Amino acid sequence: MAKLDKGNNRAGVSRRSVLKGGTATLVAGSGMLAAPMVWANNLKDITLQQVGPSYSVYPDIAAQASADLGFKIETQGAWTDALMARVVNQPETVDVADLEFWALSKVWRSKMLHAIETSKIKNWDKMIPLFREGKNFDGSDASRQGILPYEVLYVDGPGETSFAGGATDHATLVPTIYNADTLGIRPDLIGREINSWAELLNPEFAGKAALLNIPQIGIMDAAMAIEARGDFIYGDKGNMTKEEIDRTIDILIAAKKAGQFRAFWSSFDESVNLMASGEVIIQSMWSPAVTAVRTRGIDVSYAPLKEGYRGWGIGMGLMSHLEGLKLEAAYEYLNWILEGWQGSFMAKTGYYSSVPDTAKAALSAAERDFWYEGKPASEDIKDPFGGLQGSVGLVRDGGSFEDRIGNIACWNTVMDEERHMVKRWNEFISS
Amino acid sequence: MKFSNRSLAFYLLAGFFALFVAFLYGPMIIIFVLSFQGESGGLTFPMRGVSTHWFADLFASSRYGDLGGALSRSLILGLASLAITAVTCLFAGLAFRNKFIGSSVIFYLAITSLVVPGILLGLGLGQLFQLVGLRPNWFTSGLASHLSWTLPFGLLIMFAVLNRFDGAWEEAARDAGAKYWETLKFVTIPILFPGLIAVALFGFTLSYDELQRSLLTVGADNTLPIEIANMTQNVTTPALYAIGTFTSAISFTVIGIAFVAISIIQKRRN
Amino acid sequence: MTNRSLKPYLEALPYALLLVLIVGVPIATLITISFWETDGLLLYPAFSFENYRELFTSSLTLTLYLDTIKFTLLTLFFSMIIGFTCSYFLVFFVKSLKVQIALFLLCTVPFWTSATIRMISWVPFLGKEGVFNSAVQGIGLTDTPLEFLLFSDFAVVLTYVHLFTLFMIVPIFNSMSKISPSVIEAARDAGANDFDILINIIIPLTKTGIALGSIFIVALVMGDFFVVRIMSGGQSASVVSAMKNEIDQLYYPQAAAAAVLLIAMVLIFVSLILRVVDIRTELAR
Repeated sequence: MAKLDKGNNRAGVSRRSVLKGGTATLVAGSGMLAAPMVWANNLKDITLQQVGPSYSVYPDIAAQASADLGFKIETQGAWTDALMARVVNQPETVDVADLEFWALSKVWRSKMLHAIETSKIKNWDKMIPLFREGKNFDGSDASRQGILPYEVLYVDGPGETSFAGGATDHATLVPTIYNADTLGIRPDLIGREINSWAELLNPEFAGKAALLNIPQIGIMDAAMAIEARGDFIYGDKGNMTKEEIDRTIDILIAAKKAGQFRAFWSSFDESVNLMASGEVIIQSMWSPAVTAVRTRGIDVSYAPLKEGYRGWGIGMGLMSHLEGLKLEAAYEYLNWILEGWQGSFMAKTGYYSSVPDTAKAALSAAERDFWYEGKPASEDIKDPFGGLQGSVGLVRDGGSFEDRIGNIACWNTVMDEERHMVKRWNEFISS
Repeated sequence: MKFSNRSLAFYLLAGFFALFVAFLYGPMIIIFVLSFQGESGGLTFPMRGVSTHWFADLFASSRYGDLGGALSRSLILGLASLAITAVTCLFAGLAFRNKFIGSSVIFYLAITSLVVPGILLGLGLGQLFQLVGLRPNWFTSGLASHLSWTLPFGLLIMFAVLNRFDGAWEEAARDAGAKYWETLKFVTIPILFPGLIAVALFGFTLSYDELQRSLLTVGADNTLPIEIANMTQNVTTPALYAIGTFTSAISFTVIGIAFVAISIIQKRRN
Repeated sequence: MTNRSLKPYLEALPYALLLVLIVGVPIATLITISFWETDGLLLYPAFSFENYRELFTSSLTLTLYLDTIKFTLLTLFFSMIIGFTCSYFLVFFVKSLKVQIALFLLCTVPFWTSATIRMISWVPFLGKEGVFNSAVQGIGLTDTPLEFLLFSDFAVVLTYVHLFTLFMIVPIFNSMSKISPSVIEAARDAGANDFDILINIIIPLTKTGIALGSIFIVALVMGDFFVVRIMSGGQSASVVSAMKNEIDQLYYPQAAAAAVLLIAMVLIFVSLILRVVDIRTELAR
């Protein structure tokens, strides 16, 4: 922790001691009349319930935060779809929700989430411009195909049901982790270079390709391939028109009938098994799945393709039923998340932090070089649990953080014509 | 009595039965073997050494969520479902021997509960609890969702148990002046006992393994099947199999206890 | 004698109350919501048949039901044969009651492992580089791995049979073990052979068990989405797996309408089974 404390913003530390000590400042500031001592005593009784997908919510992170902050954070794993249903229908069973950005376009309107005051998030300004301003590292505008987190990150104020569309001082989520996805391939079984999404539909790989069976994401991967192959250009792959959906699905049905696809996976471990067993040699894949295959001594490439990556991100949202001390505690937790410990933990699972500076500061030089800088590993690379991820000399696919995250062509999404899309997707699957 | 024991039919049927058992256990044995993978091994063959590493990992590492808590919650829910299912289904089964108004409604409601998509039922139950001011919780709404799954099975199994049950015994007891509860205690239950055990065990296992209905009714704490389902999102080590082996071991224990209990009771009755 | 006529009501009361509360109310809600409208988040009370119209005019509905019914019938067929044969063996060919019960429990043990894990366990067995293919190739039966084994309709039915046959065995075993030995003895004295006894005595006296087992299988297979999704490698869909996509995206009214249709279909299926075998008359004295 010594390393971390150095990185700590002094204001944050004093803020925390304010909370722990319960001085009058906080009481006045929060407009509460309770005596300070009561606050201090109550703090340790606070329990925050954090719910999210298992690749984002780790008990280790909550345990470390609980130890640092003096109140308790409990975690519960839940799939994104179950979590969305709970945020909307059972809001009291959640305090902090780890939501994907696209989910916001559905659940924010329910008013069950609290508009986060960005002024209370002390590392907000250190957040990468992609989230904060919708800009790439080179200052150019980020791709808006699909739901760019920036588009759903801000609202004008509490109670607003629509997004602001530009930066304001109220946020829907505090961005935490994100990554850039691409195709996973087995170079040993393909034997040549793969540099375009079009290869996913290449008949050369008939019976050995797989696609993700989550309609919203699967259709994007397919669209990347179709566009790359030159069939046609989409207006917005992330928000297709009915005609575009129909054309896409028709192409997919034809490919399926021709035996292109070996499987459509819907859980992470399936994609790992497909790849590791050689059932499939080219497929949509997620980064930790690639790592999991590699730890079995099987070579997988997760190489950048010339059309770019499909990006996704998760943020932490506060539920609107939080109030008083509990709300303050939740803000403290959000601040703690961006301080680096969590960022370094997540880095070792292959995901980036929204405040990379603090995450990098909490990593060792060798880890930083490997995970963020794209340099060859100078020592064995371990995951947060001590499992071996790669040996000396390994280089992260796609290179450095800026190379990967600066090259996102589209984002995970929910379309306006979503029902039509899901219906056609079901047709595709059952064809 | 029995058919001739060493006929050709016996060997054919025994062979068929053995094949079926092999079919049932084959994949499970693969799981058991793979759960003892060496430290660098994966989810598929070949084995890379033999170790208990993944079992140790399961309990030492927090990457698997709150397995201990989830296990104890699932066991408690299983036992509660067992008790409620066995008792209510016993009486409901007895009732169904007579024609009564509404019996068809109950029967078809039970069938409906079997087939309604679990998530939708769970969602409805969660809403119902909130409507009456109760927060969804693993033991309240969670138990309700499990019962919606175990009760229909219990009733139908009870039908099988009561199939051609000879009511003359009860009649005789009543004629001898026995009251309802006395007849039940000394005649009906002892005769039906092995079948009741089956109903109870169904109640336990169906609850112990329930996933869909639990998703939106457990509130802030997960049950074991939810934890396992979550694991399939980010765990790709043989720990996944280790937990399978471990939960099976628990099941073996419970079934062993049930078996011993049955034979003790049978012996006492003789 | 009012006491006597009240008895079944009192006996059924706890079960009925519980069921109405935890199933009846949510189902009533479900039916109500199926007429409502939604924008993908908020529900708008209405009395619209739009969800049903969409359901009945989509060719997808028919495809899904045909696929699902295909799976159901195949699973019924195999589980019935296995369930009947195994019970027949246990009841009539195993002499010691203890061995009989022990063998019966042996069949139920795998059921105690998580269904998810039992299902996944087929993957290392059936895969291209799985145990079975290695064995078949090892003894030289084929040069190329058999791909139809995994991620296919075959794998789906195999898994259903693996997971659900128990639900057939338990009621059949129960019915069969109640066949009075004296009935069989009498038939044999009258000159019937084993086959006659099987056809004319055992099968008719086991039909309650078969019917109950069939109800379980129909309900379980038609209500499944998980097995079909994973074991077909996502290549096939079922009624519920398609519904799941709508539930995930919070389109509850549409999903509710689809669920109501599914419930209706299964109830029709079940009432057909009951028409062949009236389970309840078998309970009466």
